[in-house]
Amino acid sequence: MAEPLLAIRDLKTYFISREAEVRAVDGIDIDVAQGQVVCIVGESGCGKSMTSLSIVRLVPRPHGKIVAGEVIFNGTDLLKLSESQMADIRGNEISMIFQEPMTALNPVMQIGRQISEVLVRHRGMTKKQALEKAVEMLRFVGVPRANEIVYEYPHQLSGGLRQRVMIAMAMVCNPKLLIADEPTTALDVTIQAQVLELMKKMREETGTSIILITHDLGVVADMADHVVVMYAGQVVESVDADTIFENPMHPYTRALMDSIPSIDEEKDVLYSIPGTVPSAAHFPKGCRFAERCPLAVESCFEEMPELRELAPGHLVRCDRV
Amino acid sequence: MLSYIARRIVQAIPALLGVSVVSFILLHIVPGNPVRLMLGQHYTAARAAALSNQLGLNKPLVVQYLIWLVHMCEGNLGFSYSYNLPVTTAILHALPNTLALVLIASLLAQFIAIILGTIQAYFENSPFDHIVTILNYFFYSMPSFWLAILMVIFFSIDLHWFPSGGVINPQDPNPGFFDWLHHLVLPAVTLTLITLAGWSRYMRSSVRDNLLLDYIRTARAKGLRESQVLFRHVLRASLIPQITLFGLSFPSLFAGALFLEQIFNYPGMGILYWNAISNLDYPIILGVTMFLGTLTIVGNLIADILYSIIDPRISLGSGDSM
Ligand SMILES: Nc1ncnc2c1ncn2[C@@H]1O[C@H](COP(=O)(O)OP(=O)(O)OP(=O)(O)O)[C@@H](O)[C@H]1O
Ligand SMILES: [Mg+2]
Repeated sequence: MAEPLLAIRDLKTYFISREAEVRAVDGIDIDVAQGQVVCIVGESGCGKSMTSLSIVRLVPRPHGKIVAGEVIFNGTDLLKLSESQMADIRGNEISMIFQEPMTALNPVMQIGRQISEVLVRHRGMTKKQALEKAVEMLRFVGVPRANEIVYEYPHQLSGGLRQRVMIAMAMVCNPKLLIADEPTTALDVTIQAQVLELMKKMREETGTSIILITHDLGVVADMADHVVVMYAGQVVESVDADTIFENPMHPYTRALMDSIPSIDEEKDVLYSIPGTVPSAAHFPKGCRFAERCPLAVESCFEEMPELRELAPGHLVRCDRV
Repeated sequence: MLSYIARRIVQAIPALLGVSVVSFILLHIVPGNPVRLMLGQHYTAARAAALSNQLGLNKPLVVQYLIWLVHMCEGNLGFSYSYNLPVTTAILHALPNTLALVLIASLLAQFIAIILGTIQAYFENSPFDHIVTILNYFFYSMPSFWLAILMVIFFSIDLHWFPSGGVINPQDPNPGFFDWLHHLVLPAVTLTLITLAGWSRYMRSSVRDNLLLDYIRTARAKGLRESQVLFRHVLRASLIPQITLFGLSFPSLFAGALFLEQIFNYPGMGILYWNAISNLDYPIILGVTMFLGTLTIVGNLIADILYSIIDPRISLGSGDSM
């Protein structure tokens, strides 16, 4: 494989306060190739959002800190850039879409302005040019009455339309990488499908790489080229999308697959695995899944397994498979 | 919008009537007889009866009230007992001074509060934040008259920087604008400090809340510069409650000014009111009370209207919601 567009190396993002050190992201490696869709899946709290926010260095202040690692994008380590160089990349070469289109848009600013300010910032357009481009972009993502909606406010739109506005905003500068953190979780099923369809279309037309965070294995099956399974701040399995469904290897991934009730009923019921995730403030020294793992033996509790390449391109963090 | 304003004005009428009834009753419960005060050493029973009759004070209370009410509806607030002037003239005479004091103090306070509160919230838990918080509590909990007295002692008596009271220098044959301003400094600064304390707390918490919201993260994810995030996104939303606060606290600012005027001997509505109370000048007391009542209602209305103009989520036009 050629040089990937994005290479995350041993990334660690902790929440450090006087009371505790929460290891939200604890040594993650992820590669994203040009034009690829990488899905990150995993239980709530396993560090998916913090991984994505770490890429653009927007980890919540004041406690969140990227303590180690590299985020190599297009050959440069983003973690070494100055704050203003980083800001030049955000919204321009790397964009984000968030889960809640309701709260992710500014409630007291016109839609058009929210889109056009990205162009004014990164493309140096005049406000008027940028607004015209915003209308064009809204049409492209399938927003009806685009030339009126630019003067409206988020509360006047439906959830699905708001998420389209978010997508328009994220894509308006033709980013090389789009990070979507559960973009469809807050939407109802038919709208979900439309939004996913739109993201596929965007990728086909622009060649943008996508990191898609989701709870929904149906979405993974539909969208992913490559899948990264996270557990308790670590990658436990990483492989292409076909293999993850045909031959999942990590016991956690298998449990995820087993918890899908039937093939057609893609629903949010993944995580009915017995037991709970260890607290990110007190990880055990051994394998973090051992307590819930059917295959666990004594040594699993003693020593943290390495992420090993069990088949070409198939990485698994388990010594028992 | 216009129908909303009209409806609100109609709704205000019963409230103002209530205010007038209560003040009227209170005024006559309070011991003291204005006729006795007015006649002073010339008091005789016959003169008192004649004056009472002339002022209409011997009529039953209900009749007195109704007469006053009818006159008020005609725009006539009566004739002052002690100033020998119509009440409206006395109020119009005093109003500009108080208005100037309140406007200057509130604009100044709002301006500083916005800056302080924003910096505090942005650099939360910094030494600056802690120091301003302590100062805020200091000025917030301090009684206004006490602060006023300290200001006079320090800046007027010790340092001789500013006059301790009045509005013009009696020895200056041609007092100009700057003389007036010079006299205004101490009362205005005192009122500013008292008001500022509460307002900058509001601003701090509203900026703080907004900084944590998702759309601020979106603004940063767009690559906006931090100053753009702050001025364009955080402040826009944070200023909305602040502007409402402005309208709502205008009456209480006025009330605060009434106290300070007494201490600084500043000839505005406050002095008028105080003197009226000590002389039991009923028409003035009622007139000023009604004025403050109206001001409260108008302040609320202005706050609501401003809110609907600035915040696109609120609409008054069709508003059954309010
Ligand atoms: N502001 C914060 N302060 C302290 N800890 C935090 C904070 N935000 C997140 N965390 C911790 O970081 C860990 C990872 O959180 P993250 O939001 O990345 O999870 P997630 O995988 O995105 O979960 P979800 O599926 O619920 O979105 C969690 O254990 C959480 O408790
Ligand atoms: Mg998340």
